[in-house]
Amino acid sequence: MPGAVQPHGRLLVLDSEAQRLVACSDNWPADALDAAQEMLRNAAVPALAPGAAPVQIGTWSAGGERWDLSAHRSDRHLLYEFEPASPTEGNEAPIYSLTRIFLPRLQRARSVEELAQLVATEMKRLTGFGRCLVYRFDEAGHGEVLAEDLDEGYDSYARHHFPAGDIPQQARALYVRNHFRLIADAHYTPVALRMADATLAPTDIDLSQAQLRSVSPVHLEYMRNMGTLSSMSVSIVIDDALWGLVSCHDHQPRFVGVATRLACEHLGQLLALRIQSEENTSQVAERLALRKLTLDIVSHLADGDGTLSLLAEVPAWLRFARAAGAAVVLDDTVWSIGEVPEEGQIQDLANWVKGLGVEVFSSHRLAEDYAPAQDFGDCAAGVLAVSISQVHRHLILWFRPEIVRTVTWAGNPRKTTLSTDGRIHPRLSFDSWQEHIRGTSQPWSKAEIGVAGELRQALIGIVLRRAEEFAEVAHELARVNKELEAFSYTVSHDLRAPMRHIAGYVDLVVDLEGKQLSERAIRYLGNVKDAASFAGHLVDALLDFSRMGRASLKRRQVDMDVLIHDMVRELSRHEPGRNIEWVHDAHYPVLYADPLLLQVAARNLLSNALKYSRGRDLTRITLRALSTPEGDGLEIQDNGVGFDMKYVSKLFGVFQRLHQTEEFEGTGIGLANVKRIVERHGGHVWASGEPGQGARFGFILPRSDPDAPDASADPQPSSLSGDLHA
Amino acid sequence: MLKPILLVEDDKRDLELTLIALERSQLANDVVVMRDGAQALDYLRREGEFADRAAGNPAVILLDLKLPKVNGLEVLQAVRADPGLRSLPVVMLTSSQEETDVVKSYELGVNAYVVKPVAFERFVSAIGDLGVFWAVLNEPPPGSSKSTRRNEPA
Repeated sequence: MPGAVQPHGRLLVLDSEAQRLVACSDNWPADALDAAQEMLRNAAVPALAPGAAPVQIGTWSAGGERWDLSAHRSDRHLLYEFEPASPTEGNEAPIYSLTRIFLPRLQRARSVEELAQLVATEMKRLTGFGRCLVYRFDEAGHGEVLAEDLDEGYDSYARHHFPAGDIPQQARALYVRNHFRLIADAHYTPVALRMADATLAPTDIDLSQAQLRSVSPVHLEYMRNMGTLSSMSVSIVIDDALWGLVSCHDHQPRFVGVATRLACEHLGQLLALRIQSEENTSQVAERLALRKLTLDIVSHLADGDGTLSLLAEVPAWLRFARAAGAAVVLDDTVWSIGEVPEEGQIQDLANWVKGLGVEVFSSHRLAEDYAPAQDFGDCAAGVLAVSISQVHRHLILWFRPEIVRTVTWAGNPRKTTLSTDGRIHPRLSFDSWQEHIRGTSQPWSKAEIGVAGELRQALIGIVLRRAEEFAEVAHELARVNKELEAFSYTVSHDLRAPMRHIAGYVDLVVDLEGKQLSERAIRYLGNVKDAASFAGHLVDALLDFSRMGRASLKRRQVDMDVLIHDMVRELSRHEPGRNIEWVHDAHYPVLYADPLLLQVAARNLLSNALKYSRGRDLTRITLRALSTPEGDGLEIQDNGVGFDMKYVSKLFGVFQRLHQTEEFEGTGIGLANVKRIVERHGGHVWASGEPGQGARFGFILPRSDPDAPDASADPQPSSLSGDLHA
Repeated sequence: MLKPILLVEDDKRDLELTLIALERSQLANDVVVMRDGAQALDYLRREGEFADRAAGNPAVILLDLKLPKVNGLEVLQAVRADPGLRSLPVVMLTSSQEETDVVKSYELGVNAYVVKPVAFERFVSAIGDLGVFWAVLNEPPPGSSKSTRRNEPA
């Protein structure tokens, strides 16, 4: 009920500038009101900051009654609250006993639970309330009872949870500003404000900081439903946030005097300080331990070659996050240890996390954010992930299994009570109500999340350093490669000359002196000449091979239908005596390649098929068009001599031959050329075979990249090249 | 009188074989031999030790690509840059069919390009063909080069 106060005290509202009466509670006898105003005119009131909690300014005796007087300032008004000064409570200076006896005990407590228990007991002793609870709010605002002290006849709420809805958001905000709240009698009849300033309404008076403020009827009903006739609460505020409450209840109306109230507020502050330091200490200790593990991990990686996959070998890696499983995702590769989802699921999750664009992601209820996690909730209900790279999918993920938590609510939190008149009533039942909460893991602590971020930084440092080293190596390799090419050019160039000289002079000798020479000498000289000319071929082939690696690729769309049929016709012409059956596919693909190089590759494969099937009565060469996700290509199968698969790795090497030259001529460089050409196009080659059963060679080239500038299949020259030709 | 063929070749074996090949092609032209690029340019420009030689350009230059001091491409470049030599036919002889060499030679305005074959008979016929074509049959192209030719003593 707005603009009203609880009946056990009286309120005066003055204009803050003119000290003129603005309003008063409607329970002032006329003479007392005058006397109070008179007294206030002479009272020394300390400076009050607007919005601050009320300040105790003394005791006032009038007409045989003693009042405790407190004051505070709202934006526009001064509010004076008069509460009956209790007779001595047998507890003259509660704050002294608190300091003398209680504080040392509080200092000895070693856990938050222990602290809470001490405070519950002390608060109950100070106030005389029948039940005293200390509870803490979680992130969602649900309260969990950490400790309680109670008299006989009071229900226990130990370890119970109170749903967030029990305390509305506005009430929480008030708890942060005003640490003490008393409702002395849930059956009270509110006292309205009587306005002295006719221009104002009772709702214009800001009572949010007033001790006497009347609470909402719903809250009174809530109290009565709990069987509580008086209640008192002290806020536990840490870092300007409501950490928890000390909440006291009694079955009877109960009033708390000023001295006790001050002691209670003080107790709440002591508790807040101790909890804060306790939490800080444990966080610092946790962070230190985690930092040490981070160092272990990083130093292990720094000693190795810097690849993240090494993480899988570091035992500290799992311990780091007290996880049951962990995975490193490097693009399409996943390394994992412990309990983890399937590889595909990890990849999908990594993709999703990367899409979030955050450096560190954590959730202990993954399925709520990422629905597919429901399928692997048992092993990974919680995940902590760090994304190492913004460009690549490089992530580290830690997983925690599901913990089925049983929460005991003080009453079913989902149950809303709607009466026939449409008003929402606070729930009637506070009987224990158990709920099994699924899909959650042990939460990740602030320290774990923080150190995961630090680990990320350290790893990035390592990765970057390795990248630099790789770049240097690549640079060096490119240089060496260039040198090698220059070398092979020079060598083959210079080697050709002596071969030419040998052949030339042998020819001259035979020409000039042939008649004088024996038949044997002529044959020997023939061998010399053949050897020289074979060496010349080798040199030419080597030069071709070197050129294949250097020539710039001039790619365009090449119709293999035309290329293959032309080539087959031409090759068949060179083998007039043979019985060759060409088995063609219906269509051959259009490949995106340098036409000249592609022709060299295709010719090599086709003439190899012809060469190695020479001994067959019927040569059968089968050509197949290939189409795969990576690209299109060609496969050529013959029924020739084949080869042993254990030599397959040698097949594509330079000057590697599996047959003697008397059997099959050749320099042994053809397949090396094929491989070089295909790989320069970004494709791959393969071979399979069996001795005597024929061989099968194939290659795949990637399709044209529509974004690449030279990918155009358009036969028209581009405007640029048109200009150049003009 | 026929103008001579200028052969620029540093390798003595290649030189001997080329001379034999030219001989076998039965050309009547004299063959003037230079052993490096610098010497060849001196001869062409009538400078240095050739300052006193009688005026007159060769019918064709057979130019090896790899030469000491000034290489074949540099000689070609100098010839094409010299108004008195610009229209001389130049045939490049080389050991390999290296793409960059070929491209470069054509860019510099070579008239023909011969890769010396390993087989001697083919070398003989290649050199023979070249000599006949450039030293005997080939008439200078009509047009811009005529004025230069007119100034030359026969």
